[in-house]
Amino acid sequence: MENTTIVETHGLTKRYGSGVLAVDSVDMSVRRGEVYGFLGPNGAGKTTTLRMLVGLIRPTSGTASVAGHAPGAPTGLAHIGSLIESPGFYPYLSGRENLKVVAELAGVPLRRAEEVLDIVELASRAGRKFGTYSTGMKQRLGVAAALLKDPDLLILDEPTNGLDPQGMAEMRKLIRDIGQGERTVLISSHLLGEVEQICDRVGVISNGRLVRQSTVQELVGEEGVLVRAQPVAQAEEVLVRAYGRESVSRQDGAIVLKAKPETSVEVNRALMAVGVGVSELRPFERSLEEVFFQLTGEKQGA
Amino acid sequence: MITTIKSELRKTIRRPALQVGSGLVGAVVVLVYGVLWYQATHPASAERPVALASLYPENFVSNVLGAGYPLGAALMIVLGALIAGSEYSWGTMKTLFTQGPGRLTVWAGRVVVFMTWTVFMTIVLFAVGAACSVAVAYFEGHAISWPAIVDIAKGMGAIWLIFAANGAVGLALGVLFRQSAAALGVGIVYLLGVEIIVVRFVDALNNGAYKWIGDLFVGQNASALLQSFIPHSTGPISAEQAVIVLGSYLAGMLIIAGALQRQRDVA
Repeated sequence: MENTTIVETHGLTKRYGSGVLAVDSVDMSVRRGEVYGFLGPNGAGKTTTLRMLVGLIRPTSGTASVAGHAPGAPTGLAHIGSLIESPGFYPYLSGRENLKVVAELAGVPLRRAEEVLDIVELASRAGRKFGTYSTGMKQRLGVAAALLKDPDLLILDEPTNGLDPQGMAEMRKLIRDIGQGERTVLISSHLLGEVEQICDRVGVISNGRLVRQSTVQELVGEEGVLVRAQPVAQAEEVLVRAYGRESVSRQDGAIVLKAKPETSVEVNRALMAVGVGVSELRPFERSLEEVFFQLTGEKQGA
Repeated sequence: MITTIKSELRKTIRRPALQVGSGLVGAVVVLVYGVLWYQATHPASAERPVALASLYPENFVSNVLGAGYPLGAALMIVLGALIAGSEYSWGTMKTLFTQGPGRLTVWAGRVVVFMTWTVFMTIVLFAVGAACSVAVAYFEGHAISWPAIVDIAKGMGAIWLIFAANGAVGLALGVLFRQSAAALGVGIVYLLGVEIIVVRFVDALNNGAYKWIGDLFVGQNASALLQSFIPHSTGPISAEQAVIVLGSYLAGMLIIAGALQRQRDVA
């Protein structure tokens, strides 16, 4: 059960009439029970892909299975909760009434509206009209609506968009809580830190193509130790002799050794023994940000 | 389907535009009666004399019909466009379409509730009209007698059909433009200007050889249907034809809008 997929796409493609290829042959797989991050820069095709998964737009080609059904099929939608792009509610109705409208449409008991309001901590402000809500409250109500069906799969598209840092932190906590247990969460974001903190696995999309799909750990690479020493050539020679050529590489004037961080003591001792001066020795881990920019071909800080 | 209707009803009943619309229809009837009563009792103020007898309950149906069209029809286009178009503007379409019921079910629920509301508007129109006519009769010391039930029912049926057909045009425009502002603007300009100009142009072509095209427009048939309630009046369009054409507009617009809603991507 744990490893069965809940979302699977094959060659999913969306080309608009104007010729724009928004999503290009995406093969994506989300496993049951995981929190999956769908990562990509703005305009990469994340929202278009998610819209196809919930049946809001039809793919030009390719297939998709979501919760065991074709996208948009009523039987499948009964197991899916979604918040796509911005929350869409009636501004003249209160938050509570909006949830009741959605609950009735989804065939969910009206009392469920109160339960989800408690989950997103919006019960005290649920009587106010949606039109008067702050961005954070709107996002919370959107998540509440997505939870109404107690779905197996929750699809959240950029849920922290427009939130201030505190709102973002609260939303991340909320998503982590929601993602506990059996429920699968598919969350799209262009915020690397967010995905790194919340997700078990990540799919990286760039220019409409899924360029990588793996665990966050696999994506950032194996553990290592970063060494800055003088003379660097002699230090490298020592480390190659000790750990093998394939474990040693140079990066920005430093040496990166593929090894567990605890190896640092041994490395220090070996280098000191031959008279190499060590100026820096620390665990090395590529950040998701570095990997992301490498995969998407975007320039860091651009 | 029942849950869809309940959901649609919950949000529609609280919608300020519809509440204002219902009030407006009633206010128009009161205004029309007030003006006619004043003109009937102050003959110097009216260009054409108004017979006081025409305001009594036995004649209230024709007064109500006059108050209901074209203003009521224009209001229906506006409200239809608002109901359908604002779902796109507010982004609620995606919320509705991802809950479970199919797109056509959602559309059918909307149509059922909107059409129920046009029935309610018709009842409001006639109830206020009847109350106004009773007030005139009371203050003028005239005995109250009502038209035959069948005449009231026919009048209500006619005005409902006009409301429903124009409301369907508004709904279809809202879906077509995927927003309320453009739909509303186009609907009103069409009803109050474009149709009149086009019909006149078509009628004038080739010595009226294409007049039959002009007779297919919604406004022409609405006018013809109401004219049929005036005794001894004859026009180019029969009441039967008007009912068929208006019914066709009602069905056609709802089918086209439903098909658009089903087929198009929700961006």
